[in-house]
Amino acid sequence: MKTTAKETGTSYTNGNTNVLPEPERKGRLLDLKSLTGKRVTWIIILLLLFAVPLLITKNSYLFLLTNIFIWSVFAMSYNLLLGYTGIISFGHAMFFGIGAYSLALTARHVPSGEFGFLLAILLTVGICFVLSLIVGLLSLRLRDTFYALITLAVATIFVIIAEQWRSMTMGNDGFNFTATLSRDLFGFINLLDRRHVYYIALIFLIAMFLVLKRFIHSPVGRTLQAIRDNEERVASLGFSVLNYKLISNVVAGVMAGLAGVVYAISIRFVSPASVLGVEKTIDVLLMTVIGGVGTLLGPIIGAGVVEVSSHYLMGLANIHPIFERWVIMFGVVFILIILFFPAGIVGTINQKYKSKKRKGKSHE
Amino acid sequence: MELHLTLVFNGLATGMLIFLLAAGLSLIFGLMSVLNFAHGALFMFGAYMGTWVYILIGGWDSPWGNVNFFIGMGAAALIGVILGYVVERFTVRQVYGNHLRQILITTGVMLVVGELVKVFWGPNLIRVVQPEFLTGNFMVGDVRLTYYRLFIIIFSTTILVLLLFMLKKSKLGIVVRAGVENSDMIQALGVNVRKVFTLVFVFGTVLACIGGYMWGPYQGQVNPGMGLDLMLIAFIVVAIGGLGSVAGSAVAAVLVGLSEAYMAYYFPPGSLAVNMLIMATVLLIKPTGIFGAGR
Repeated sequence: MKTTAKETGTSYTNGNTNVLPEPERKGRLLDLKSLTGKRVTWIIILLLLFAVPLLITKNSYLFLLTNIFIWSVFAMSYNLLLGYTGIISFGHAMFFGIGAYSLALTARHVPSGEFGFLLAILLTVGICFVLSLIVGLLSLRLRDTFYALITLAVATIFVIIAEQWRSMTMGNDGFNFTATLSRDLFGFINLLDRRHVYYIALIFLIAMFLVLKRFIHSPVGRTLQAIRDNEERVASLGFSVLNYKLISNVVAGVMAGLAGVVYAISIRFVSPASVLGVEKTIDVLLMTVIGGVGTLLGPIIGAGVVEVSSHYLMGLANIHPIFERWVIMFGVVFILIILFFPAGIVGTINQKYKSKKRKGKSHE
Repeated sequence: MELHLTLVFNGLATGMLIFLLAAGLSLIFGLMSVLNFAHGALFMFGAYMGTWVYILIGGWDSPWGNVNFFIGMGAAALIGVILGYVVERFTVRQVYGNHLRQILITTGVMLVVGELVKVFWGPNLIRVVQPEFLTGNFMVGDVRLTYYRLFIIIFSTTILVLLLFMLKKSKLGIVVRAGVENSDMIQALGVNVRKVFTLVFVFGTVLACIGGYMWGPYQGQVNPGMGLDLMLIAFIVVAIGGLGSVAGSAVAAVLVGLSEAYMAYYFPPGSLAVNMLIMATVLLIKPTGIFGAGR
C-alpha cells in the first residue's frame, strides 16, 4: 500500500491497468522530463478552459461546454461503480434527478437564494446518502446482477413519483424556474449569467476529479479495484466486500446528486424525462463505456464525445430524418466498442502507449 | 364478489402474458447466466412486426380477419427466430462468460433494436384490435368476461404445459435442465452447450415476440415505450420466481399479474411499487427466489 500511496501524487494513469510491474513504475517516477511535460500540458489545458468565456461570447457554446463538464462528473460517478467496482447500475439517474429537483424546488419555494442553494445541496447529499445506502443494502448482498435489476426498479419508482406528484413537480411537463434563480448568490454569483455557470461547472468538475482521483488511489479505492478483479479472493483475505461496495455506491450516489444540482442550474428546467429517466442512465453508461471504463479521464472524454456528437447529429435532422434517430448510431458504436475495444477511447490509447513503451524497453 | 372475479380473471390474463416474456428471460438467465436487457426490446420488435403484418394483409376488418391474426402471430414468431439467432450469434456469444460485458452488450442491443422500431414504424403508437372471433364478452353468472383474455389464458397455459413437459421429458429439455444446474458439467459430458445456448436464446426470443404480439390487441395499441415497461415487470417476475425456473416464473407472473390488476383498479400509480415490495420481500426471505436453485 505504501508504494501505491507514493504513486498517487505523480501518476495520471488509470486504475484499469491494475498495478504496473515494478520496474516500469520506477522508470516512470524517474522520468522527470515527460512528467513535467505532462504537468505543463495540464496547466495549459486548464488555463485555456478558464479563458474560454473570455474568448467565446456565443452563449450556446458556453452552454454546451458547461453541460459537458456536468455530464463528465455524472459519468465519473458512474464510472466509480462500473469501472472501479465492477457493478452496473440502471438507476443512477435517480440521484442526478434528486439533485436537480432539489435545486429546482428550493429555487422555486425558498425566497432567500443562499439559503435555498445550501438547502438544495444539503437535501441532495442527505437523500442520496440514505437512498444509496438503502438500495445498496437491499441489492448488493445478492448476486451481482440483482444490483442492475433493483436499481432499475427503484429508479422507475422515482420517475413515477415525479410524474404523479403534480402539485409538487408539475408531472410530466416539468417546470421552468429561470425567474426565481438567484442573481446575486453570496453577493457575486449571477446564476443567470452563462459565464458564471460555466465557471461553477468547471470548478465543480476539477474539484470532483481531484476527489475521485484521491479516492481511487486511496486504500479503499484499491480494495474496490481488487474486488472488481477478483471478488472471492478479496473476501477470502478478510475484507468485507459488502461494506466496500456500499462505500462506492454512496460516494457515487452523492456525487451524481451534486452533478444534478449543477445541471439544474445550467438548464433551468426539470422534468422526469430530462433529469430522471432511465434514458439518462443509459446516456451516462454510453459516455463511460465510449470514453473508457475504469479510467479517470475516460468519462470526461466520453461525455465530450457524446454531447458534442449528439448536439450536431440532432442538428442534421432536417437533412435526413434518420438523424433524428441518432441514438441508434450510439448503440452500434457502443456494441462495437464492447466487442472490440472494451477499454474505450482512453483505455485503448493507454494500452497502445504502454505496449509501445514496453517494446521500446525490450529493444534497449 | 363480481368485482373480485373480474379482477382475478384480468390478473390471470395479464400474468400469463407476462409469463411468455418472463419464461425466456428466466431460461436464458438460468442456463447462460445472461441477464438479457435486450429482451424487452425484442418483445417490442416482435409486437410491431406481427402487428404490421397483421394490418398489412387486411387486419381485423377483412373477412379473413381471424386468419390474419394468426398469420401476424406467425410473422412475430419468425422475426423472433431471426432476431434471436442474430443477437445470440453476433453479440451475446462474443462476450460469453463475462457478466458485466453481457449486461452491457445486451443494453446496446436494446438501444439499437428499440430505435430500429422507431425507424421502421415511427415514434407514435399504432392501434390494433383483436380479430372478430375473439371480440366480445361472455357471462359467468353475473360477471362479464372477455374472450380475448380467455384466449390469452388458454394459449399461455398451453405453452406453459408444453414447456414443462418438454423440459421434463425431451432429451433437449433434460440437457437444458442439467445446464441450469451446472453448464460446465454437461459440456464436460460431451454436449455441445453453445448450440443449446443458441437454441434456448432463440426460443426465449420467440416466446417474447409472440407475447409482445398478443400484448398489442390486449392493450389496443403497440407503442415504443412498451419494451422497457414490460421488461422491468418481467425482471421482477423472474427474480420472484427464481432465475432459471419456468414453473417459478409462471407462479410469480400470476402473482404479479394479480397485483397489477388489483392496483389498476384501486391505485394505478402504485402498481410497480407493490410489485417491488413483493420482490424485496421474497428476496429478503429467499434470495434465490421462490423456486430458485440454491446456488
